[in-house]
Amino acid sequence: MSNTIRRAGLTRRTLATGAAAGAALLGAPLPLRHALAQDKFDLRVAVLLPLSGVQAQIGQACMRGAELANDVFADMKIPAKLDIMRYDTESSADVARTQAEKAIASGAHILTGAFDSGHTMAVAQVTEQRTVPLVVNIAATPQLTESGFKYLVRNFPTAPMLVTGALTLQKDLFAATGKTPKTAVLMSVNDTFGEAMMKAIPGLAKKLEMPYEIVEVISYDPRAKDLSAEVAKAKATKAELVMPVSRLNDAKLLIQEMVKQQYEPMGIVNPGAPGLYEYDFLKTMGKYANFHVSNVPWLNPKSPMTQALEKRFAAKYKDGHLDINVGFTFEALLVAADAWLRAKSHAGTALMEALRRTDIKEHVTTGGPIQFDSKGQNVNIRAAAVQNLKNKPTVVLPPEFAIAKPVFPMPGWRSKERG
Amino acid sequence: MRAGGVWQRLTEGVPARALAALAVLAALLLAAPVLSQLLPAGDYWLSILILMVYFAYIGQAWNIMMGFAGQLSLGHALYLGLGGYIAAALYANLGVGPWLGVFAAVCIAMLAGGLIGYLGFRFSVAGVYFALLTIAFAEFTRILFDHFKWVGASGGLFLKVEPEGSPFNLQGSPVLFYYVILVLAALAFVFCRWLLTGRLGYYWLAIREDPEAAQAAGINVFRYKMLAVLISSGLTALGGVWSAFYYKNLFPESAFSMGRSIEVTLAPIIGGLGTLVGPILGSALLVGLGDLFTTMAERLAEYGIKAGGLKQIGYGVALLLIVMFRREGVWPWLAHWLGFDRHRENQP
Repeated sequence: MSNTIRRAGLTRRTLATGAAAGAALLGAPLPLRHALAQDKFDLRVAVLLPLSGVQAQIGQACMRGAELANDVFADMKIPAKLDIMRYDTESSADVARTQAEKAIASGAHILTGAFDSGHTMAVAQVTEQRTVPLVVNIAATPQLTESGFKYLVRNFPTAPMLVTGALTLQKDLFAATGKTPKTAVLMSVNDTFGEAMMKAIPGLAKKLEMPYEIVEVISYDPRAKDLSAEVAKAKATKAELVMPVSRLNDAKLLIQEMVKQQYEPMGIVNPGAPGLYEYDFLKTMGKYANFHVSNVPWLNPKSPMTQALEKRFAAKYKDGHLDINVGFTFEALLVAADAWLRAKSHAGTALMEALRRTDIKEHVTTGGPIQFDSKGQNVNIRAAAVQNLKNKPTVVLPPEFAIAKPVFPMPGWRSKERG
Repeated sequence: MRAGGVWQRLTEGVPARALAALAVLAALLLAAPVLSQLLPAGDYWLSILILMVYFAYIGQAWNIMMGFAGQLSLGHALYLGLGGYIAAALYANLGVGPWLGVFAAVCIAMLAGGLIGYLGFRFSVAGVYFALLTIAFAEFTRILFDHFKWVGASGGLFLKVEPEGSPFNLQGSPVLFYYVILVLAALAFVFCRWLLTGRLGYYWLAIREDPEAAQAAGINVFRYKMLAVLISSGLTALGGVWSAFYYKNLFPESAFSMGRSIEVTLAPIIGGLGTLVGPILGSALLVGLGDLFTTMAERLAEYGIKAGGLKQIGYGVALLLIVMFRREGVWPWLAHWLGFDRHRENQP
């Protein structure tokens, strides 16, 4: 072996020299490339998202919101230009932490991210130690704003806020349409998110005095390839309302199976979960995607800023649609820009002080002005009832954000109204 | 055994140049937090180094089972998760400090390891079937913890951030965590060397190479396999405790995941299974290469080229190359090339 090495002209010395040169060339300058770049921007914002790994699809959707930020700011005459630094957390807390260190070393003034609660927690520890503000775009665990972080604000509802808002909107939906189901079945994935929802919803339904009785809670594996047994079980309960706590692929399977088994409840109303409003679901399911309702925080279609974002989105991306991933990530950048405009400083303490006093009335998601309480939580976010109409998620409630009337009960699977 | 005797046992047959290299490495690692501050982006490099040492440590712990005793475990996330969860839950719920909680964490992880080992070795569940058993235990523990309210169930367990935290609560800066994991890794290295140069190490090697022959030679195979699984699970749980306090959050879905178990195995496999330096070298290669690929993907993204999965592809290619060209891992080849094995053929 050593002979082969010698013949090839490779010696310990050349290997060591090569390795050192390679490392110097490839590794060392990279974290500093932003810091060394000419300063043409007002503020450097690092966006940490899972761009690869199991959460890649959602992370990439979120990133679109960040990529459009400067254009929309220009359209809305917001005098801020951000240097947006992309960092991939690779769907891992280990990587999220080192990426946060790298972002700060590269000169980021504010960090945003990180979609996943665990990853966000890892990032938050770094930002706290380095006194650099973190604006959370999406992460629902309450502990993020209950852990005493002084350099963190979150513009996203906590899990209890999500469920409470979703169930309250169901009542509004029944009141607006004059039709109330008497029984409901909760069908949920059994992953971390689904388990939390399954625990929270029955108790909260009682507390909020929902007009229906939850007759069955059916859980299933989000990686299931067949939901025929689960749908048959739900159909047997004759529940008038189906509440799916789904992800994307199982949402497709669920609807396919409901069509196959001709299970036609009054409605399919998602109590604050993804799946039913997603672009891929709408594209794949065609007419069967219509009339399902998702009670989630959404983009306010009446806001001029949302309209500007939508226009920019349509111009830049040929696939996908505006959803909460894009909306909340864009808003995280908006919050950062707004803080800089008021602080006029890159210092972490000054930016954080400005973030605490945030009061943004014109923004893109449903709810009141973006304001943070003493723990850093925006408590003004409101859920909207988003119904798939003509294969587009459309806000139907609350009335101040609605651009169409809700359709409930939903037309049957064979109905001509489906198109 | 006297100190001189221990030193002699640990260093016997090791060439002077290898000892010198080891001393230099130890000195560099000890000084790393100071040296890193001399570099631009020093905190970032320190965070990378912390990951390297952490994966070297847990790789060393896994290596005892697979590399030394030849028992394939693909469920080591179980011990990491148990260790982390128990110490973190004791601290968060009962106020028991991690330095005390670690004993409970290690004991419970060893009990779990002992149970798996007993079932596997007593009923002759070997090879891939034993690996499946370890996966099964990790998986059902994940489901159990998903419903275990005391540890936060599926919503996760979060440790409160304590700005005034002290080393007594394992709360503090990354430098503190670096030295804690460095001490653990160094102790594990020395401990493994001590084990390997004693009777136990030779028994394990005999069992690894041919369990039937070892049994015929009078070695109590069951007993020594059990010892391997107990030591390995206990050491891995220590790593879990460190990780829980470093990241301050635990979710069953990630803590007990198959992906986590695979991560544990990669460094020793790439570095050199059954060798002491293998997990260290493998970890340095994996974390270093991983970060390089990540940074390259970021740089490509600046030019509009999306290469999000570059790291995974890079890992795949690295594993492929190792399997094709360095089946025993990088260290045995490198050690031979550097002349570190000149005086002690066939020894770890």
